[in-house]
Amino acid sequence: MWKNYLKVSFRNLQKRRLYTGINLLGLTIAIVSFLAICLYIHHEWSYDKMYTGYDRIYRLNQEFRSEGQSQLVSSTPSSLIPTLIDEVPEVENGTLIFDISIFSTVMVDAGDGNQEEKEFAFADENFFEVFDFSLISGNPSQILSEPNLVVLTKTTAERYFGTALNAAGKAIKIDNKDYTVSGVMEDFPSNSHIKFDFLASFKTHRHGKDPEWSPSNYYTYVKLKSESDPQVFEGKLGQIVDKYLGKDLAEYGYETAFFIQPVTQIHLGDQSLGSIKPGTDIRYLYIFGIVAILLIAIGVINYVNLATAEATERNKEVGLRKAMGAGRGQLFGQFVSESMLLTFASTTLSILALYLIAPKFASISGVPLNLELIISPLGLILMGGFIVFLGVLAGIYPSLILSGMEPIKALANKTKIGGGAWVRKSLVVFQFFVSIGLLISTFVVKSQLDYMQGVNLGYEKEHLISLSYHYNMRDGIEIIKNEMLRSGAASSIARAADMPIHVKAGYRVFPGGDNPREFMITGYSVDTDILETIDLELIAGKKFTDSDIQRSDLEDGSERFPVILNETAVKEMGWTAEEAVGKTINLGFNSNSEIKGVVKDFYFNSLHFQVSPLVIFNDPDQSNVLLVKLPEGNPTEHLATLEGVWKELVPDRPFNPVFVDQAYEKMYSSEMQASVIFGIFSGIAIFIACMGLFGLVSYVALRRTREISIRKVLGATQENVIQVLAADFMKLLAFAAVLASGFGIWFSNKWLQDFTYKTNLSIWPFVLSISLVFILAILTIAYRSWKVYSLNPAKTLKSD
Amino acid sequence: MIQLKEIDKYIESRFQRVFILKGINLTINEGEFVTLMGPSGAGKSTLLNILGLLDEDYAGEYWFGDKNITKMRDRDRSALHKSEFGYIFQAYHLIDELTVYENIETPLLYRKVSSNERKSIIADLLDRFNMVAKKDLFPAQLSGGQQQLVGIARAIAGRPRILLADEPTGNLHSAQAQEIMEVFQELHKEGTTIIQATHARENADFGTRLIQMLDGKIDQDEVITHV
Repeated sequence: MWKNYLKVSFRNLQKRRLYTGINLLGLTIAIVSFLAICLYIHHEWSYDKMYTGYDRIYRLNQEFRSEGQSQLVSSTPSSLIPTLIDEVPEVENGTLIFDISIFSTVMVDAGDGNQEEKEFAFADENFFEVFDFSLISGNPSQILSEPNLVVLTKTTAERYFGTALNAAGKAIKIDNKDYTVSGVMEDFPSNSHIKFDFLASFKTHRHGKDPEWSPSNYYTYVKLKSESDPQVFEGKLGQIVDKYLGKDLAEYGYETAFFIQPVTQIHLGDQSLGSIKPGTDIRYLYIFGIVAILLIAIGVINYVNLATAEATERNKEVGLRKAMGAGRGQLFGQFVSESMLLTFASTTLSILALYLIAPKFASISGVPLNLELIISPLGLILMGGFIVFLGVLAGIYPSLILSGMEPIKALANKTKIGGGAWVRKSLVVFQFFVSIGLLISTFVVKSQLDYMQGVNLGYEKEHLISLSYHYNMRDGIEIIKNEMLRSGAASSIARAADMPIHVKAGYRVFPGGDNPREFMITGYSVDTDILETIDLELIAGKKFTDSDIQRSDLEDGSERFPVILNETAVKEMGWTAEEAVGKTINLGFNSNSEIKGVVKDFYFNSLHFQVSPLVIFNDPDQSNVLLVKLPEGNPTEHLATLEGVWKELVPDRPFNPVFVDQAYEKMYSSEMQASVIFGIFSGIAIFIACMGLFGLVSYVALRRTREISIRKVLGATQENVIQVLAADFMKLLAFAAVLASGFGIWFSNKWLQDFTYKTNLSIWPFVLSISLVFILAILTIAYRSWKVYSLNPAKTLKSD
Repeated sequence: MIQLKEIDKYIESRFQRVFILKGINLTINEGEFVTLMGPSGAGKSTLLNILGLLDEDYAGEYWFGDKNITKMRDRDRSALHKSEFGYIFQAYHLIDELTVYENIETPLLYRKVSSNERKSIIADLLDRFNMVAKKDLFPAQLSGGQQQLVGIARAIAGRPRILLADEPTGNLHSAQAQEIMEVFQELHKEGTTIIQATHARENADFGTRLIQMLDGKIDQDEVITHV
């Protein structure tokens, strides 16, 4: 029976090539997108499950509380893990990681000169026991147990030593200190939140030898015993705080608490905690999941629509089969097997296509597609289930319609599939609702991105480059600065703690001096040239001068340490800009900071956040970067000149300029990625929906060939014919557009909510999306009606 | 075998009922070869469809043996339909996508006949109608007469006791028609009850009973005697 069903199905599909082609292509594209998204979501969900006993591994995070304000961070003191291992019986093991990339890069020399490396961290000797990554060489319990040992990943080892095995035991210089390569590990899996190129023994570090309770710069992980209750363990953390930290904290008016986070929840958890590798906002996974299902729905709808539209032509077959004794169930089986055959073919094609697009997908999403999951036994079973599910989903409605026809009417071709028409219409509306909705979303995301690119940040990020330098270069930095200015390739240079796009250091203003208030403030260490270099606008007071530093160096309490505040900080203190100048404030470390000037607010953080109070210190020794403003002219030439100066003065360190505007864009990479992904998916949705529309119009055109021919004979132009065919569909599209606009407004509000500084909701995303889809739809219909119109009426009318 | 009591079939139009069949009382015994004749619109096809359980929308009683079809459950009616009736159509109505062999096989599949048995039944039928060489051809590749032979083979493949034929020779020229009628006669001799609707008087001569219909009523009912 099934053999017969399949045979008949196959011949039917073959006979209706156009519809089969549309269905096959549409479903295949939909399934490829669906599977790719599923694999992506699976990858994001599979984070940090490769360690033995991963469900017992937790990261310790810290909460700072002070006067109603609370801050959560993932960094902890270096004393925490040794203390826990010694004193808390629930702990089986634990490790500490010190990710120094947040502070600076390192210089690595394996004999071929210095190379700048970013992915460098220290880890204590337990690291490979807690996180049992596989080692190519070395003993997991020993490779980080002594000072000056370093473990390389396979790729890094190959980069420096040719082969992984070659690297073991070799000497290597890191920031001019001698290290020995104690082991080589396999590269970190893509679904581990830990990822470095180098892991050096923490014992090399000052706090590795003598752990302390301050500063909190380290990631701490514990592995609990299998019988331990994590709640009980978390409870005991309070006692540790009381025992070791209580006194100090009380003095500063802080409270702190440690809390645990399962290692598997780091990647998709609260992103504001911070992590070694940036995580994924779980909401994006939900959105992608929904989009995946919508795309499948659009593909399936094409099948349902075309199959029911065709039903009129299959009357005879149904009637006959019924006359020959076919039960409704048997007919149902036959039609479902047809859709099943189609979904089987599409799924197979999709899997092949996935192999082709996998590299491209990986480069867009940053996530490798693990296609082996699909061809694993479980994967194949799931695929089988998927095919059956999809086949039934697509086939059930047309099959019910077809198998439900009454034989006599069917044989006499009297059945009008009028009942199915409204279903078909609603499905078309749904398809275009989704397509237009996705397109509007894409444009909304895009317009916010454009807004962020174009917004006046309050400083000039164009033609500005940043050169990071090592703290041990600071004595010579003035010379470099002067030489660069003299070369003519820089119009202004300032030293600063970081690029102005993201200033991080947190301070606190205490009551004192002239100020009665206490609040959090961000600190930015710079030199005297900062205002010119990044074009900050001074609205009151004066700029820094060279003499400021000399005066503050006296530190006898009689002199005042000059600072510049932003408008928001001044407002927070309750002063106007003019009032503020000359007043003193208490920043804790120096009770008499004098406000020398006030600058207009500028965005020194992501636009997700409000501009907060900022204090600018004239303290060049705290700086890590040179901000160089390039003069007019070709930036490439200027860069070459600057590189020449750099190479001459600092031959052992590479010249790595970073364009500030590019770094700025990078801050919004997850939004950027979302916009690209939305763009791709809305394109796919529109494509599939238009193909379905083409199929439906073809069907209608075929049924109305005679009518159109008569119209042509009566003198209808091609435009008239298009109008005749398009009228019904345009009504559906218009309805879909109205629904989609409603969705678009909801989505924009929802999505833009996350941005403190956002573009106004404009009408353009809506106009653009709707007209784009309408134009595509009209073209689709026009093409089809042109083909009917060009038929010779003498022939089409004769057959009647 | 079949007994119809006061069968009415009508279409409800806006102002009045239009009767297609009115007050049909008819008994058909097993082994009869009945011909329904009459002008177009007399109700021949409608009566045939009702007899063949293809049309259930009528008033009156339909007894099949000792069973009242009109009161039967759907499932039993469908089972009866499968086991007792075979259909032959004027337009052959073969399934275009199926070969000769597969067309004949279809009703057997619906009757869940085993694969071996199917093969032997179809082989017999192909042999009987001299179509062995054509078994893999598609309907479009056959002449009208040949197509109708396939239609007959298909109709009798399930070994129905009653064969219903609506204008079986309507689309055929006289030599082909003659051939088809001879096949019918042969089937009749083997014991099959045949009911055919036709316009052609000469076809009636192959049967045993002639029913003349007019305006939805039975006009004449006569026995055909063979010389």
